[in-house]
Amino acid sequence: MKWHLCAALIVVLCLSLFCSLPAQNNQAQAQGKMAEQKITVLSPMGKPPAIELKPMAPRPGSLEGKTVYLVNDGYLGTDLLLGEMEAWFKANMPKVNIVYRLKGGGGFTAEDPKLWAEIKEKADAVVMGMGH
Amino acid sequence: MSAVVAHCINIESKLGVPTVPLITSEFYTQVKTHHTIQKGMPNLRVTYLISPVWGKTAERLRKEIVMKSPVSGKMIMQEIVEGLTRPLSAEEKKTGIIEQSAGPETFTDTPDNLQRVFMEKRMTDYMPIILPTEEKVAEMLKGTSHQPDEVVGKMAAHTAMGGADNVEVFEHWSYTVKTVAINAVMAGCRPEYMPVLLAVASTNKEAISVSDNSFTEGLIINGPIRDEIKLNYGLGALGPFSQANSTIGRAWNLLSINAGNCGRVGTTYMGTVGNPMNWNNVIIAENEKDSPWQPFHVRKGFKPSDSVVTLCEGWGVLSAKNSKYSVWQKEMDFPGIVKKIVNDQDGLFGALVVLNPTVATFIKEAGYDTVEKFTQYLLAPAEGQATPEPAPTAKGPGMGRLQVNIVVTGGSNNNYWSYGGMACRQSVLIDKWR
Repeated sequence: MKWHLCAALIVVLCLSLFCSLPAQNNQAQAQGKMAEQKITVLSPMGKPPAIELKPMAPRPGSLEGKTVYLVNDGYLGTDLLLGEMEAWFKANMPKVNIVYRLKGGGGFTAEDPKLWAEIKEKADAVVMGMGH
Repeated sequence: MSAVVAHCINIESKLGVPTVPLITSEFYTQVKTHHTIQKGMPNLRVTYLISPVWGKTAERLRKEIVMKSPVSGKMIMQEIVEGLTRPLSAEEKKTGIIEQSAGPETFTDTPDNLQRVFMEKRMTDYMPIILPTEEKVAEMLKGTSHQPDEVVGKMAAHTAMGGADNVEVFEHWSYTVKTVAINAVMAGCRPEYMPVLLAVASTNKEAISVSDNSFTEGLIINGPIRDEIKLNYGLGALGPFSQANSTIGRAWNLLSINAGNCGRVGTTYMGTVGNPMNWNNVIIAENEKDSPWQPFHVRKGFKPSDSVVTLCEGWGVLSAKNSKYSVWQKEMDFPGIVKKIVNDQDGLFGALVVLNPTVATFIKEAGYDTVEKFTQYLLAPAEGQATPEPAPTAKGPGMGRLQVNIVVTGGSNNNYWSYGGMACRQSVLIDKWR
């Protein structure tokens, strides 16, 4: 009797295992298909502006007798750097007129309309530092 | 950050005067592949110096300016003279308009591949994202009454701290309500966060600044929206302990990366060491209920019933226990400790003081029944001190006067609080973006 019960139990277990296998396979296949399935997503990018090419200023050919402005944008150490450049011009190109200016305003990006007007009127060339 | 390039391009094109900008060599990639192109003068004659210049003696600089530029290999002073005198080539005289594209409007692939594509195209923060399908974005858009194609703002990798009358250093990209929603989906936001995100996006302020200082940004959120979207302002308020606190800052980052072209290392990101707070920014919902003072936004002129977000920028915040003035003692003079810490801050950003409710209450009970009164005390000269001098700032001319902002958040389980060099410069109404 016991033997019969055990055999029946084993048969039921085997059958349930056999029946569940396809379901498990189907589930795995479905997951695999989902992973392989292509979807469409939206780009998160913004819109870049158009670039306007600006003309560079004509060059004088020589700096002899010209006025070169050395403009300090305000970053640390630029005064020393431009001071050494001024000394170099005096020693090596004495006919170049050097003018040193510290750009005004509240920071590196600040405009200095007064200085720009002075440059437009008096400068033949500008060396500006320092981008860091 | 090369404001010098932007100024020189304006001097060349608007004033007609030739220039040579001086840039340190570490900024070559940024200037050559980004700045000069985006500003419309790709052949600007830049001379690159031996990096860095700051910190060197005059004697050393004297030697370096007659050495070879690390970029061109030419003697630096000779290159400057040549840059100012050599006639322009045909290429250098070119004018016209070049249209730019940010790439395709959609991507189609398997989810795993799309995660990879978004990462490779640097459209993420290198953490997995929620993929922004049309359905998810449509759901996100239900969080606002504004139309998807409404332009919200324009963003660049750097916003001048001085406000108006500043040269534009980086180009501004524009974005719509839908762009904000797409990035919000990617960050894991819920639709009800959209009014906060749109209010932040409307300020045009980038979350990831280009600055080599490695700045971080912050948001202080006040008003009814805090409870509506379940922002945490109790225990662990500044940490990742609610969905809103964890994803709003990330969405702002992703928007900045994708819609503002920020955070691209070497061009639109130059932070020397970086900042771990850049992962999510400093997100602070004020604990208005337990604060002994008026809410932060009311002190800025808003009504208590308004929902408001305030944008902050600076170095970030850390525990006051970091300070030598804040060692554990049986009796703590909290007003005095805050005063000493605040006056040790750099003048560039001043101080953001993030008090927990118990410390704020201690301070109120010490006689400071309003934040204004306490701030006056903080900025008044200390005993034996002639003037209230903030620590000297190591930046350029005219940058900053010490400002103090005080906000209350967190739990009341102990007497811990935080501070940092962060300035709060603008507050905007969230409600108009509902």
